[in-house]
Amino acid sequence: MSPTEKRTTHFGYQEVPLDEKASRVADVFHSVAARYDVMNDLMSFGIHRVWKRLTIERAGVRPGHRVLDIAGGTGDLTLKFSRLVGPRGKVVLADINASMLNVGRDKLIDNGVGGNVEYVQANAECLPFPDNHFDCITIAFGLRNVTDKDAALRSMARVLKPGGRLLVLEFSKPDNPLLTKAYDEYSFRFLPRIGELVAKDGESYRYLAESIRMHPDQETLKAMMEAAGLERVEYTNLTGGIVALHRGIKL
Amino acid sequence: MLLTPTLLLAGCERTLNALLARDPAAPNRLAALSGSRLLIRFEQPHLALLLAYHAAGVDLLPGDEVDESEADAVVELTPETFSEWLGGASLERLMFEGKLAVRGRIGVLEATRELFFDLDLDWEGELATWLGATPAHSLAQGMRRLGRFGLRAKEELFQDVSEYVFEEAKLLPGRAQREVLRDALTELDEATDRLEARFHRLERRLKALATERAS
Repeated sequence: MSPTEKRTTHFGYQEVPLDEKASRVADVFHSVAARYDVMNDLMSFGIHRVWKRLTIERAGVRPGHRVLDIAGGTGDLTLKFSRLVGPRGKVVLADINASMLNVGRDKLIDNGVGGNVEYVQANAECLPFPDNHFDCITIAFGLRNVTDKDAALRSMARVLKPGGRLLVLEFSKPDNPLLTKAYDEYSFRFLPRIGELVAKDGESYRYLAESIRMHPDQETLKAMMEAAGLERVEYTNLTGGIVALHRGIKL
Repeated sequence: MLLTPTLLLAGCERTLNALLARDPAAPNRLAALSGSRLLIRFEQPHLALLLAYHAAGVDLLPGDEVDESEADAVVELTPETFSEWLGGASLERLMFEGKLAVRGRIGVLEATRELFFDLDLDWEGELATWLGATPAHSLAQGMRRLGRFGLRAKEELFQDVSEYVFEEAKLLPGRAQREVLRDALTELDEATDRLEARFHRLERRLKALATERAS
């Protein structure tokens, strides 16, 4: 056995070989891609749109900017960014999963988005872009699925221009014990059932709930971003800390 | 609470874009404005709003952290000036009166007012997507007929009331007649007072005569 095969990482609550996680996450998203938007609306009661909107507001993107939307999925952020950067700017929608990228591309084309958006299938851990290239990078509900989060954050910091912003929107740890209890009940009992009914895939949504619990909390992620070379890192808890928006600047 | 302003902006943006989508003239106006950014700053309450236009509508963003150089036009105004502007007051007049400060391309501001306040919504087209062309047309015809009836009824009511007031006014005395009447009444009042005084004097004399005869 090689040393790589011995190393493991978490996939939800399971421990899996390091090089197996990416393919297992890919399977999850291949399975849910077609009904991803419907499920997001159902699971969050539509609040995910407000969380994403706040991310856009905090991004400070303006005409002419180059924006990278990592794990952009079905292109919610890219759609808005493409309007904000205008014809002189550029938005790159990157996702490791081809199915999600296809759904995103179709949705954006249906919305009349064309010239200033590029689609790239890329792994966040080794982004295929030059150094100091983007004015803003966002990753919304994607970081927890990345195998090596530190490597991904370093890669993002590398391709970010000096003065550029990295925004990480991700599930986090609620700060209220009562809310935590209710949230656990909802995630582990209710969520897989909706997944079973709507996306015909309860397992993927069980993974979703487990992966959220395994994701670093607010302070840990903040420290990870600082270790990756970002400065002035701050976070905002949304909906009682169920989700947190981290923002860091490359100086 | 943190999400409330975001939620409000999202609601306003969705409403505005839904209305613009129903206006047949909006696509041309939006095409001319597309890519422009208008920063509106209210003085009281302190509020900044960035309107970013695109071909399909407008994005509303908070403008607190936006630098003026990022906007094509910047407007600073009070809520009173805003309501005057919405009411159709000319931009030049408001600027000369010092109520409105505009920097950048003034044309963006004029085009914004035209876009939002000259909205001519195609309700029949929207109804047709829900009900089908024929029922929507019948319903719209009925509503238009009702609207016309309402307008006609209002005009007739105004006409009737004005005629009634005109005819009634004829029967009322004019200002000159009223003054003559007032003078006559004053004269009558004075004459009555004088007569009363005479009666009192006569009464006193009669009492005095009666006292003399008795003694």
